[in-house]
Amino acid sequence: MTKIIEAEGLTKVYKGKVKAVDHISFSVEEGEIFGFLGPNGAGKTTTIKMLNTLASITEGRASVAGHDVSKEPGATRDSIGVVPQELTADDELKGVENLMLTARLHHVSGSDARQRTQELLKLVDLEQAADRKVRTYSGGMRRRLQLAMGLVHMPKVLFLDEPTLGLDIQTRKKMWDYIAGLNRERGLTVFMTTHYLEEADSLCNRIAIIDKGEIKISGSPATLKEKVGGDILTLELSENAVDLTEFFRGIPDVSDVTKTGQTYRIKLPKTEKALPVIVEGVVKKNVQIKEISFTKPTLDQVFLEVTGKSMRDEEASESDSFLQNVMMERAR
Amino acid sequence: MIDETIALSVRALKKWVRNPAAVLPGLFTSIFYLVLFGNSFNPTSLVTTGLAGSGVPASVIAQIKTAILQQTFGGAATYITYLTAGVICLILVFNMAFGGIDLVLDRQLGYLSTLLTSPIPRAAIYFSGVLQNLVKVMALALLTFLIALVIPDGLVLQSGFGPLNFIGIFASFALLGFGLSCVFTALALSVRSIDSLVAIVNFVTLPLIFMSNALFPSGSFPDWLKAIAQVNPISRTDEAARLLIVNGTLSSSQLSTFAGDMLYLIVVVAALTVVGYLAARRALRPE
Repeated sequence: MTKIIEAEGLTKVYKGKVKAVDHISFSVEEGEIFGFLGPNGAGKTTTIKMLNTLASITEGRASVAGHDVSKEPGATRDSIGVVPQELTADDELKGVENLMLTARLHHVSGSDARQRTQELLKLVDLEQAADRKVRTYSGGMRRRLQLAMGLVHMPKVLFLDEPTLGLDIQTRKKMWDYIAGLNRERGLTVFMTTHYLEEADSLCNRIAIIDKGEIKISGSPATLKEKVGGDILTLELSENAVDLTEFFRGIPDVSDVTKTGQTYRIKLPKTEKALPVIVEGVVKKNVQIKEISFTKPTLDQVFLEVTGKSMRDEEASESDSFLQNVMMERAR
Repeated sequence: MIDETIALSVRALKKWVRNPAAVLPGLFTSIFYLVLFGNSFNPTSLVTTGLAGSGVPASVIAQIKTAILQQTFGGAATYITYLTAGVICLILVFNMAFGGIDLVLDRQLGYLSTLLTSPIPRAAIYFSGVLQNLVKVMALALLTFLIALVIPDGLVLQSGFGPLNFIGIFASFALLGFGLSCVFTALALSVRSIDSLVAIVNFVTLPLIFMSNALFPSGSFPDWLKAIAQVNPISRTDEAARLLIVNGTLSSSQLSTFAGDMLYLIVVVAALTVVGYLAARRALRPE
């Protein structure tokens, strides 16, 4: 696999004193969906801004699609598509006009532009609404149009900043399908930020969690969840059962056991190995199992462990109130 | 760069054409200044009205009116004939100044960031702002000229007035408009909020108008104000346009004054273009 995004010691200091990003290093493989998560003010938007040339790099280096972001900003911009979290499609223009203008600004010529515009309108199910002004679009339609605008010049890397912000769950799911389809069928590399952890879990091949300007943890969603201790097995035993706490703790693949009444909560880093031993042991000790259940670890637990905050407590946007008001108005 | 500049200008102009309400405030300003200001502050009427009941013969009053127009207003047939060029300059200043609001909104709504991540020259963003405002304001200037022609006691053109006069008049307006557009586009790209833009614009525009001969001839100004008015490009634009409006055919000395004014405007506009471009480039550089 080729590394299509590489960041080494990437640092951003605003006005010589506010360190927004502090010596982070990471890489994204070609054809990967890479999720960048973090609380508000963690540095994820600043990182995206450095990668797509909107912000200068104070220290370190970054390359996108083989181009040094600082030394070759023009070539970098040629290689990337950016779908910002703001709804930037022009309200007073038609959907098709927004796409054609974006194509022209990316040097896609007349007939190519028309062909790609039609293809993308079909891809995001906006063919019927193509000749309507964007002001008449719903929030979901605007997001889909923006996604198409980010793709019109066939970029090598697509940056998605909160691509489903403010959408209902059905529309959000549909956006996931588009993004996953683009990645699967066209091999498009996607670098995305999101506040919806289930979105990152379902879409991303790998995730990095950033907090206070530093990457705290990175890896595949499954690996990250494994790192916080694996599955939780809840066992409720019969009332007259003996205390099995020490027995459970003695099993090699059990990382923690807590007991409340006759209910045991057992952390299992490797469920497939530990589960048969636990069940067999309980049966051999002639103890009856009244109830058994599993809880798979979630990315929210990972996030909580790494940042000390729950993602669900975070507000949906770092933007100012003016922008939020406009976006809410447009999303209606 | 030219293709991107045109593409972005067309985007802005499409929005403008599709929203007729956006044209109306500028149009009403023209009408208010020409019809209301032009009649209520008409200096010939202000001076001669009191004479009508004092036994001064009507023929003498008419002679006084003619003398005022001849001596003070450069031979204009009516005060509105003199005022029209000034009102058009006023329209240019105000609409250029507030035309930047769209650019501030583009920044606030994230559209500018989208442009900055696309592979277009930064200069295209700046010059498209300059061009779109220029086209919008020149359309308003033309409408103002036409309104002045049709209102009662309005703009009176001399018999020698021809297409060359018209071209010369609008060339002077276009030069001033381009220079103003460069400055105000750079300003709009540099500020972060509409409030800041409005505060600066309000501070700048009124003195710019009052320190010129847009509404009244600078000959009656105190010396210090006269000195400022003489270097104010608005005064030079007005002077050039009025020469062609008031006199159908220019004498050689008038032609020389006209040429001097146009040359002055070209130099000032070139300087404003460079200053505006440098300021815009600074405003559009990465954070």
